[in-house]
Amino acid sequence: MVCRTIDKKKNSRDKLTHILLLVPSVISASFVFFIIIFVAKRGVAPFLVSSYGSESVNLLRFLTGTTWYVPPTAYGIFFIVVNTIYVVALAAIIAVVISVTTALFIAKMTNRIIGGFLKTVIELLAAIPSIIYGVFGLGVITKFVIGLADVFGSQTAGGISTLSTILVLAIMIYPTVTLMSITAINAVDTNLEKGSLALGASRIQTYFKVTLLTAKSGIFSGVILGIGRALGEATAVSMVAGNAGSGPSFDLFSTTRTLTSTMLLGLKETSGVDYDIRFSVGIVLVFVILFGNLLLNHFKKRIGKYS
Amino acid sequence: MMKKRRKNILDRGAYAGIATISLFGLLILMLLFSYIIDKGANLLSWDLITGDYYAATYDSYYEGELNQDGYSANREFESDVFYSEKWGIALKDDINFEGKDYVLVVYVSDESPLANLRDKNDEKNYVAISGGQSMVKIIFSNNTVMYSKNGAKAAIELFDNADGIKDMITTTAGSGIRGSLVTTGYLIFFTMIIAMPLGVFTAIYLHEFAPKDKWYINVLRRSVELLTGVPSIIFGLLGAAVFIPLTSTLTKASGGNIISGSLTLAVIVLPVIISSVEESLKVIPDDYRQASFALGANKTQTTFKIILRCSLPGILTATLLSVGRIIGESAALIYAIGTVIKDNIVVTEKSTSLAVFIWSIMAGEVPNFELACAVSLIILIVVLILNMTVKLISYKLTFDRNRG
Repeated sequence: MVCRTIDKKKNSRDKLTHILLLVPSVISASFVFFIIIFVAKRGVAPFLVSSYGSESVNLLRFLTGTTWYVPPTAYGIFFIVVNTIYVVALAAIIAVVISVTTALFIAKMTNRIIGGFLKTVIELLAAIPSIIYGVFGLGVITKFVIGLADVFGSQTAGGISTLSTILVLAIMIYPTVTLMSITAINAVDTNLEKGSLALGASRIQTYFKVTLLTAKSGIFSGVILGIGRALGEATAVSMVAGNAGSGPSFDLFSTTRTLTSTMLLGLKETSGVDYDIRFSVGIVLVFVILFGNLLLNHFKKRIGKYS
Repeated sequence: MMKKRRKNILDRGAYAGIATISLFGLLILMLLFSYIIDKGANLLSWDLITGDYYAATYDSYYEGELNQDGYSANREFESDVFYSEKWGIALKDDINFEGKDYVLVVYVSDESPLANLRDKNDEKNYVAISGGQSMVKIIFSNNTVMYSKNGAKAAIELFDNADGIKDMITTTAGSGIRGSLVTTGYLIFFTMIIAMPLGVFTAIYLHEFAPKDKWYINVLRRSVELLTGVPSIIFGLLGAAVFIPLTSTLTKASGGNIISGSLTLAVIVLPVIISSVEESLKVIPDDYRQASFALGANKTQTTFKIILRCSLPGILTATLLSVGRIIGESAALIYAIGTVIKDNIVVTEKSTSLAVFIWSIMAGEVPNFELACAVSLIILIVVLILNMTVKLISYKLTFDRNRG
């Protein structure tokens, strides 16, 4: 009986702890809903006559426009979405080629010391904050692009261009994709490789036709993660993109404008349509990221099926 | 035989190609470091770290007596530095951040009258000329005038011929980062105070207390995981839409402030804290829990006296990773605080962290690469040390676990 009461007391104290710990967990989980509700509320406001009256923005014009801002209150975002996807896609292609090769080298083709060293270097690159890539981009990559433009006989606005943006983004997602690819390649069953070697394939043939083929699903996960990062990357991109007023532009040497650079640049006042419209751009950005993720995951499943 | 050799050559070529491409990361890291060190290392000094960002201009004069023997310098100077024994001041030609020539004060003797001048605007104030300031214009008592464009040598000659100073305009160096350093410190402090308990308790709840297979636990977990994929600029929007109004009503702040920035950063580092603490909870052997229960402790005691102590490495890792994230974060803070550089930091006002400081000086008409690189160098060193420490901790943990 005595034992029973102690047990009960113990139990009730645990229940109290349980509830006390539930509170911070619910708070932690609620932030994502805060983001959805409040950003959406602010981002929808510019289109509502009820909140901005005659200054409200035409939604259709916003979604299909090819000029960012036509005074007084016409905004267009379509070309920015196109530019963003174009820039991120090219950056992803560059990053994937270099990343997969690097991952293959580190995981399979070198000894532990060199591999470990290169992996540490890539981990350091992953840890460097975006603002420093921005300084690097503005100080080094734009110079490189100016030189490249000279070779092709083109003009750039001080190197601030689509190509600079692509290169900065490629450098920034390279560590993510490489580290994920290394994990994926290391997870490949070595018996498959041994079988391929026994059938007379050379090492290089085995790596490209067996190892990478088996690891492609994991590599693709890394690519999806990298593309997500690239779409949301703001500071470094804003420093080299140049915020072109209209578009879309596919010329590598002309300035561009991405969703994130639109949000970050030209920020002056903290109220009014010109401020709130950035929340609308933020909503579009989230949709682009979500949609991109869904699409790529769909591809990933299809790729996985045939392996 | 022929075929095999050809295959071999092809293989070697491919190997060389792959090895070369693999050096890309190393090349980028070296380029980045060499650029930032080359541009910024010269500027890195104690003055930069402790100095104000905004230069102050002083207007002063001196009418007193001069020491007959002059003022001797207690140190040697390089050949490009000119010293006036009569006034005890050493000057040098230098180029400022905007690429303009100016006359830099290298040294002022402690006994020199220049270390004790009267402020022209306020007779009660004293102005002390010291190393690091620059000379703009001086009208001496013999009506000769020194301009900074004429250089240090001419200025010293004028000093040697003059017995008094009618009007001297000097400026302090400026472009210091003390304010941003202090802000970064505040941000780290407040963010960790908010995020650490929230993150650690959430991790403990999810791993130790949460009933398995309940739908609402899944929702909780998913909601926290969703935060990981949100770009930092969206967190900035959260700060602008929620935390700035919140802090404005609760405190006397108007607009972005350090508290709203800290709240935003807390949401950003929350998933980092939760996942690394939960990782460390996962590896605590169940024997520990059972041993504690067997000794009569209840779940609360077990959790807070045994489990929490065992998860300390995870908490430490979470702290280091979070601090690294806070120092490097820029996009979210541009929205959640603003980009106004301040020298005197008030918690309920706008100011910039080191990362946003770089953004502010680069976003202007004339980007200041040297200063940006110097601050980048500081951020880089701190962030890389933090990450190396995290790696060392995890390495040591796996090592210990494998051994015991």
